[in-house]
Amino acid sequence: MDERFDCIIVGGGIAGLSAAMILARANRKFLLIERGEFCGAKNVSGGVLWGADLQRLVPEYWEQEAGYERVVGHRRLTFMDEQSAFSLDFKSDHFNQPPFAGVTVLRARFDEWLASRVQEAIDQSTAADESLLATNVLVDSLLMEDGRVTGIRAGEEEFFSDVVILAEGVNNLLTRQAGLQPAYVPADHVAVGVKEVIGLDQKVLEDRFQLRDGLGLTNEFVGYATRGVEGGGFLYTNRESLSVGLVLGMKDLGEKKLKPYDILNDFKAHPAIADMLAGGEVLEYSAHVVSTGDLAGVPDKLYGDGVLVAGEAAHLLLNAGRAIQGMDYAMRSGILAAEAVVESTDSKDFSRGALARYQERLEESYVIKDMRAFQGAVHLLHDPVMGRTLPSVICDFGRSYFTVESKPTRKTADMLKQSVRTHSSMWEMMKLALRAARNL
Amino acid sequence: MSNLSISERLGKVAYRNQGRSDARAHILVDTAICNSTCPHRCTTYVCPANCYTEDDHGHVHFQFEDCIECGTCLYACDQGAVTWKYPDPEAGRGVNWSLG
Repeated sequence: MDERFDCIIVGGGIAGLSAAMILARANRKFLLIERGEFCGAKNVSGGVLWGADLQRLVPEYWEQEAGYERVVGHRRLTFMDEQSAFSLDFKSDHFNQPPFAGVTVLRARFDEWLASRVQEAIDQSTAADESLLATNVLVDSLLMEDGRVTGIRAGEEEFFSDVVILAEGVNNLLTRQAGLQPAYVPADHVAVGVKEVIGLDQKVLEDRFQLRDGLGLTNEFVGYATRGVEGGGFLYTNRESLSVGLVLGMKDLGEKKLKPYDILNDFKAHPAIADMLAGGEVLEYSAHVVSTGDLAGVPDKLYGDGVLVAGEAAHLLLNAGRAIQGMDYAMRSGILAAEAVVESTDSKDFSRGALARYQERLEESYVIKDMRAFQGAVHLLHDPVMGRTLPSVICDFGRSYFTVESKPTRKTADMLKQSVRTHSSMWEMMKLALRAARNL
Repeated sequence: MSNLSISERLGKVAYRNQGRSDARAHILVDTAICNSTCPHRCTTYVCPANCYTEDDHGHVHFQFEDCIECGTCLYACDQGAVTWKYPDPEAGRGVNWSLG
C-alpha cells in the first residue's frame, strides 16, 4: 500500500468518525488513527448527543440496531440545597417523533457503532482498499516541514498526507505541537468531569423513571450538587443503567481544596439523588476534562498549512443552561472539516488560505454562532450566585410553598420575598433577573 | 446505595497491561517542584484518580498506574512539574473503557 493519503484523521471519537464518514462518501483515500483498542475505548462523555446531525451521517439510525441508549423524551432541571430539590420538569409527546433531538449514549458503545457505519461507507467507496480505520496506534507527533503539516509519526512509522484533521480530544497535544495553541494551557477554561455508570435492572429503571418505548430522561442539577464549586451535576438514563456525575470548575475545585470523588459521594447521598439510585450497582467510574464553553479557551485559528482542528481538541463545547452541548459540536465540526478537505483535494490547495474556509463555515454554523451568542450565559452560569444563592432561594421558597401547616398561610409573593431576604436581597435578585434576561 | 472509596471506584476501571509490572509511565512528574516551590499542590486535590498524594510529612508522590487519562493534571499543574503524554498501547498502562 502506498503510504500517502489524501487525509489523515487523528482520533476515532465523534469528530474524527464524522469527518471519516464524509471522506468515505466522497471516495477519498484516508487513514483514521485511534489509539484505543477500538473506537470508543478511550472516550468518555456525560452522555447526551443533541441535534440532527446524526441523522445526516446515518439516515434513519433509529431503525437499526443503533449504538445509542435512549431517546430523550423527558427533561428536567433541578435546583438543590442540602435537603431539597426543586425542579423544572418538561415531558411532551413532541419529543417522540423522529428525527429525535437527543439520544443518551455510552461512548465505548456508541463510537464503536459509529465506526462500524463508517467502515460500511468505506467498503462502498471507490477507495475501499486504500482507506482504513486503524486502532491501537498512538500518534507520537506531527511531521512538519517549514511550518506545514505533512503527516504523522507513530513509533517507527511515518504516514504522509495532504492534510491532517486533528480530532484528538481535549488533551490536544498535537494541536499544541502545530502551534495552534500554546504548549501550556492553564485551567481557567476547563472543568473536571467525573461520572459513574450505575447499573439498574431495566424493568426497575423504566418503572422508577416512568420510561416507555425506549424513551429516557435527562436531569441537570445546580446548587448543593457541587458543594459550592462552580459547575453542576447530571443524571441521564441509559438502557439498563444511569450515568451520574458532576462537572466541576478545575480552578475553583483546586482553590477550595476539594476532591471530585468526595463531592460525587455527597451528591449521590443527597436524598433526591439517593432515591433514584437505590438498588443500583456501580459498573464503571470515569473522568474527563471538559471545556467550559468560554470562547477564550478556543484556539484563535483552527487551521494551519495542511492541518485542521475539530471537536473537543478545538474546545468546542457549550453549556448555556438549556443543554450541555459538545458531541453535536464535534459532529458538525468534523463534518465541516472533512467538507473543507474534500474541496481542497479538488483544488489541490492545502494551504492555510484554502483551509481557512473550514473556520469560516464553523463561524457561520450554529456551533460558533451559539457560542458567541451565549458567552454571557456561560459567565452567568459560573457565577457563585447561580451555583449557590439562587438554588438556596428557590428551595427555601419551595419549602414554604409546598408546606401545609394548620395555621394561617402567607400569600405566595410574601413567601418569595421572605426566601429572597433569607438568602440574598431583592437588589441582588433583580440584578440576576436582568442578567438572565439579557444572556440566557 | 453505599458510597465507594476512590480505590473501590478505581477497582471498577479496566486497564491495559493490567498484569505487567514493567509498564512504561506516560506521565512524568518532577515532584521536587511540587515539594519545593509549588504554592498550591492542586493536583493532590483535583486528580480524579488520586494519582497525586501527599504523605504525612507533606511530601507529594505520584503514581501513574491508576491514571484514567482524563488530562486534569495536564491543565491543572501551572508549575511545569507535569510532562504529559498518552500511554503507549503496547508498553503503557492506560485505561480501557467498556462503557465510557
